[in-house]
Amino acid sequence: MYYFIQAAFITVFFSSIPANLFSQIDSIAKPDSVLLKQIEQQIKSSEPPLPPAQVRTAPSTLPDISVIGDFQASYKNNVKRNFNAGINEAELSLQSVVDPYARADFFFTVGKDPATGKFSEDLEEGYLTTLSLPAHLQLKVGKFKSAMGRINPVHSHALPFISLPNAYENYFGEGINDEGISLSWLVPNSLFYQELVVQLTDGPIDNPSFSRSVGNTYLELAHLKNFFDLSSNATLELGFSGITGANFFDLRTNIAAMDITYKWKPVQFNTYQSFTWQSEAYFSNANISKDKVVNSFGMYSFINFQFSKRLFFTGMYSYSNKPYSASTVENSYSTTIGWYATEFQKLEIEGKTTSSNVEKEQNQILLRWIFVIGTHGAHQY
Amino acid sequence: MKLKIVFILLACIGTSAVNATKINVVTTTADLKSITELIGSDKVDVSSIATGYQNPHFVDPKPSYIIKLSRADMFVTVGLDLETGWSPQLLSSSRNPKIQKGSNGYVDTSVGVTLLQVPSSINRGEGDIHIYGNPHYWLDPVNGKQIAKNICDGLEKISPENKAFFEANLKAFNTKIDLKLKEWTIKMSPYKGVKIIAYHNEWCYFEQRFGIIIVDFMEPKPGIPPTPSQLVKIISEVKSNAIKVIISSPYFTTSSSDVVSKQTGAKTIILGTSVGAFDSIKDYFDLFDYNIDKLIQGLN
Repeated sequence: MYYFIQAAFITVFFSSIPANLFSQIDSIAKPDSVLLKQIEQQIKSSEPPLPPAQVRTAPSTLPDISVIGDFQASYKNNVKRNFNAGINEAELSLQSVVDPYARADFFFTVGKDPATGKFSEDLEEGYLTTLSLPAHLQLKVGKFKSAMGRINPVHSHALPFISLPNAYENYFGEGINDEGISLSWLVPNSLFYQELVVQLTDGPIDNPSFSRSVGNTYLELAHLKNFFDLSSNATLELGFSGITGANFFDLRTNIAAMDITYKWKPVQFNTYQSFTWQSEAYFSNANISKDKVVNSFGMYSFINFQFSKRLFFTGMYSYSNKPYSASTVENSYSTTIGWYATEFQKLEIEGKTTSSNVEKEQNQILLRWIFVIGTHGAHQY
Repeated sequence: MKLKIVFILLACIGTSAVNATKINVVTTTADLKSITELIGSDKVDVSSIATGYQNPHFVDPKPSYIIKLSRADMFVTVGLDLETGWSPQLLSSSRNPKIQKGSNGYVDTSVGVTLLQVPSSINRGEGDIHIYGNPHYWLDPVNGKQIAKNICDGLEKISPENKAFFEANLKAFNTKIDLKLKEWTIKMSPYKGVKIIAYHNEWCYFEQRFGIIIVDFMEPKPGIPPTPSQLVKIISEVKSNAIKVIISSPYFTTSSSDVVSKQTGAKTIILGTSVGAFDSIKDYFDLFDYNIDKLIQGLN
């Protein structure tokens, strides 16, 4: 009540003062006059007190550090040991700008070998990216995930499903992350986003389609990404990739791939609702002897619905041959329900069935709990 | 027909020549866009990444934003860690050395702002705590002056020949803030000490400037959706303090505050957190005009 009266008084007081009164006071009164001091005091008392001067959090040259835990439990039929549970992988990331010209990103993993149960460490990725090359170019050197399609560049913990699509796994295993050099060019296209990436790497050591050649055959990759804003809420991405490199037979495998992703996310309520449809197709041309070539095909397609802030649903279908066997046909279906507690923790449960013309039908139920401590960089859109 | 085509082509060339002389600015939020336009006037061409009705913490880093950033002369950010989930990735993908942190074209408008709620220690168990302090500082119009000064300094670095022009606009901006502040303060003075509930902890600067008291938040912790036990607590607080209003933002659903409203009669009011949140909020001054009028309307 006191404040109300005081505020009302000040309001009436000021509104009744002619606009030029202050200049009159200034011109006729001494600066230290009692009246001036009283006015200043009243103005001060009508304003909220300012907090004391503060020191901001001490700056640090330490990189952003995070650890991601990936706990998994599974039930699989048609295997000797049906139940498994434990830490599948722990990832340590260190990310920072190096200087005005480059940034560096390192991802170390400690993963469990499903066969032996033993943990082993690996450098999943470690690369330097330039920030200031001319002509919208960006250079990356080190060990990195190849820029092929939509799944390969993404770390598994950021995917909305637990088990990789059969088509992807049959052609690329756990993915291509290889050592070499990558050059990306932002195409000066004012109509839509277009990025061309070319990469030259050593060739993966353990991959279904490619091997590290003892000779001078390297893994060559080109990827063209086209991104369209259909509206403020919807986007479409079309990607085309070509990869060629040495295979298990020390001959050449060529893979052409394309990806398509449609995303709908209302700008205003983007944390509550979203829909994604993503598909990739792989056309493989593998030379397995001087006079024998295997042409095979694989694809997957999934939809991901976000029902509420925390609840997600993913349904996926995959069709796949194998790189060296066009007659093998695998069909798989999976559904995943994800509960995202916060940006730092999510729990997912997945059911998957795979039928094949060469193996028994396999059914599995998977549970995954992902959690992160520390500061982890954002993933690509 | 041929003449028409030639005319259109000439018009296009003419337009691009005019645009070429302007400073191309990309801001993270619509408030910064508005203030940059007021300071830079016809010398700048400004676009904002986030819209006014979007949660600035959670903007999707679409590749199309990279195109804008790759051509920008200046990047203006709220800073602290408001945009940490999306702007660093966009900046490093832009391949534009002019706007990287530390360059002349990188403007952090939080510089010089007295921050509130600066934590002495960080624990994610407390929810989404901002390590440098609460980043919603533009919701105090006095901080708008510091934001404008930082933007003016940035523009002067890029275009020193227009220094006098920018500073004249800054002076006009500050004068208008002072005038409007008097008007807003007078309007809000009867409501000093009035208690309200807020959905998310983003109003502390507004609260301090205009003397309202936010008793509690719908979110039990920043970033954590309202829980049943939190709603019970809020209902009890609303009743015991005779609270009339729950304030929220355009990007939060009102389902939980509607529950409280039904139980207590308190009104849920959606205020604008940024320019463009509603059609009538066209610039930084409209933001406070809208919020103050709306709040007073609710409290009455």
